[in-house]
Amino acid sequence: MINENDPSTLTTSGRLLNYNEAIKSGLETGLTFTKLMDQLIKTHDADELVAAATQLADFKLDSDYVTFPHQYSNADYYLLFMSRMLELHDQGKHVMVQSRDHHEELTQQLTPLGDRGTFSFRVETSENGGVFYRERATGQSLFYLNLDRKMFRFNSHALTQLFIIDLHDTVPADTVKASVQILVDFARYLKEDYGYSVDFNVLDAANQQNYAVRSADLPAGVVDRLFVAAAKNEYMLTNGVNGNGAQIQLDRNVVVDIFNNQLEGQPEWVLTVHDDDQKVSWFDILLRYPFMRDWYLENLDDLEIVSDPLIFS
Amino acid sequence: MENQEQQASAADVLTQAIANKLDYLSTLQAAVQHGDDRQVYELLDQARYYQEIKKTRAARTVNHLAELVDNIHPQISHYLSDNLIDYLGHVYPFFYYEEYTTGRFHIYFGNWWDRRLFGDLDVVSVRFNFDQTEYQKLQQSFELEAQHQRLNTARIEQISSESEALQKLMDAQSVRDNQKTQLREQLKENSQKSSMPWDTSKIKDERQQIVDQLTELADQDEKALNAHKAIKENDDKILVLSKEDTILNYEKQSIRDAFDDFEHFEAHNQSLYADYLNSLIGKSEGGVKTND
Repeated sequence: MINENDPSTLTTSGRLLNYNEAIKSGLETGLTFTKLMDQLIKTHDADELVAAATQLADFKLDSDYVTFPHQYSNADYYLLFMSRMLELHDQGKHVMVQSRDHHEELTQQLTPLGDRGTFSFRVETSENGGVFYRERATGQSLFYLNLDRKMFRFNSHALTQLFIIDLHDTVPADTVKASVQILVDFARYLKEDYGYSVDFNVLDAANQQNYAVRSADLPAGVVDRLFVAAAKNEYMLTNGVNGNGAQIQLDRNVVVDIFNNQLEGQPEWVLTVHDDDQKVSWFDILLRYPFMRDWYLENLDDLEIVSDPLIFS
Repeated sequence: MENQEQQASAADVLTQAIANKLDYLSTLQAAVQHGDDRQVYELLDQARYYQEIKKTRAARTVNHLAELVDNIHPQISHYLSDNLIDYLGHVYPFFYYEEYTTGRFHIYFGNWWDRRLFGDLDVVSVRFNFDQTEYQKLQQSFELEAQHQRLNTARIEQISSESEALQKLMDAQSVRDNQKTQLREQLKENSQKSSMPWDTSKIKDERQQIVDQLTELADQDEKALNAHKAIKENDDKILVLSKEDTILNYEKQSIRDAFDDFEHFEAHNQSLYADYLNSLIGKSEGGVKTND
């Protein structure tokens, strides 16, 4: 009896045919790959771009019979995807993709930030899948992206460490703002055009955004410290409108509230930022007001804004 | 017959007394119905009214009629508070009131974070009953201002220098460690010295000196060990004190904005009853009737 799956039972020509089929299918895979690459690099249609990226994200180029010695990693396709997505929204100039000379690997720079930050994606190896967008020198993962699950999550800890602490003395606030805006725009396109679930976290400028702080039951001393610091800087921390927290009116009608969001049961202290145009986020406050930045960093153990605990732990 | 007459006159007297009370109550009722707060105040304390507003001795003998309404003071206070707090809002823009139970009001100073509970407002007597501890702190901080000091400046300085000393103690750990090694060497040498009888006491003294120094260093080590915690506790103490200074500063600024200085503020408090009632008289003379 001939079993096609068992080479020992096949005739010589049968074996050759099988071998040939395997090579054909391996080449077919290669061709599909080149088509997807074409699509990823050249298409002017955002839908096709997302489709190509989603397929390439977990594409297996090698098969048993056909392997390709020169390959980019899956992480690199994300980088291409990101810059193409920006390009399709006329923001292609805001990022620079660089390939390494001696091996196939891509890195990216945010144009305003230049060589003070070099970024690439790192594939998450656990079952969750997805990738982290990392600054290579510091290892800070600024956001998580999962094309299959249409998920995008910013990481408050990394954004703070990189932009509010590490680059604070060397990079002007406006430059940081412009750099971060590129990431926000990228996330916004995914949310608005493809219905991604996006957590903008500290970058969220919407007035209704509640930034939850790490110590859900915030020690009173933390707010007291802001009260004293504000007074030294000619601002007044007042009682909150709802009577269970505090409020500080900054410039141009920007108001920061810090209060317990739960009137009963387990406390849940949060920060909010209100402004007329809904353009100011907590991150902006940290960039613009040195005394708020000092207060936040000095009390970071209690105040750090919570990121998605399922992704960043 | 005589008895009957006596009886009749007794009834007359009582009837008159009751009529006086009824008259008092119906006058008060009418005043409330017409929203005539000035008259309500006059009826509540005629003696004070005549003395402070009419500037005459009370013409009538004290009739105690106002005692009739003693047990409805909460309702009266609740009623009168509307206009009074409105008035106070203009004169004392920094006071906030909370009616914690019918007719009784807490005074809060300011609307800043953790503003102080500053006392009670007695609506019926038109009087602030300030919390004496809080009031004295404010008074004192005005006095200290002349010396460019805040209430807690001295204590904050004292605690800060304490923390500095602790920090130095922590920083000097390696110096102490070296000293200890040296002293232990000396101790060893000391114990190896051949003891001629005439040297014994000298060697003993020397030994004691070294041991004393080592004990002293060990004490410092222990302090340094706890210094971190102590510094943190000091930081908390300083926070409480700076917070109080910040609050007092806001209070002083508010009083200056409204009254120029503390003396004018106190003077206004003294004449609050007369000022308020005169403002009510002024209103009714101006023809503004609220309840028509």
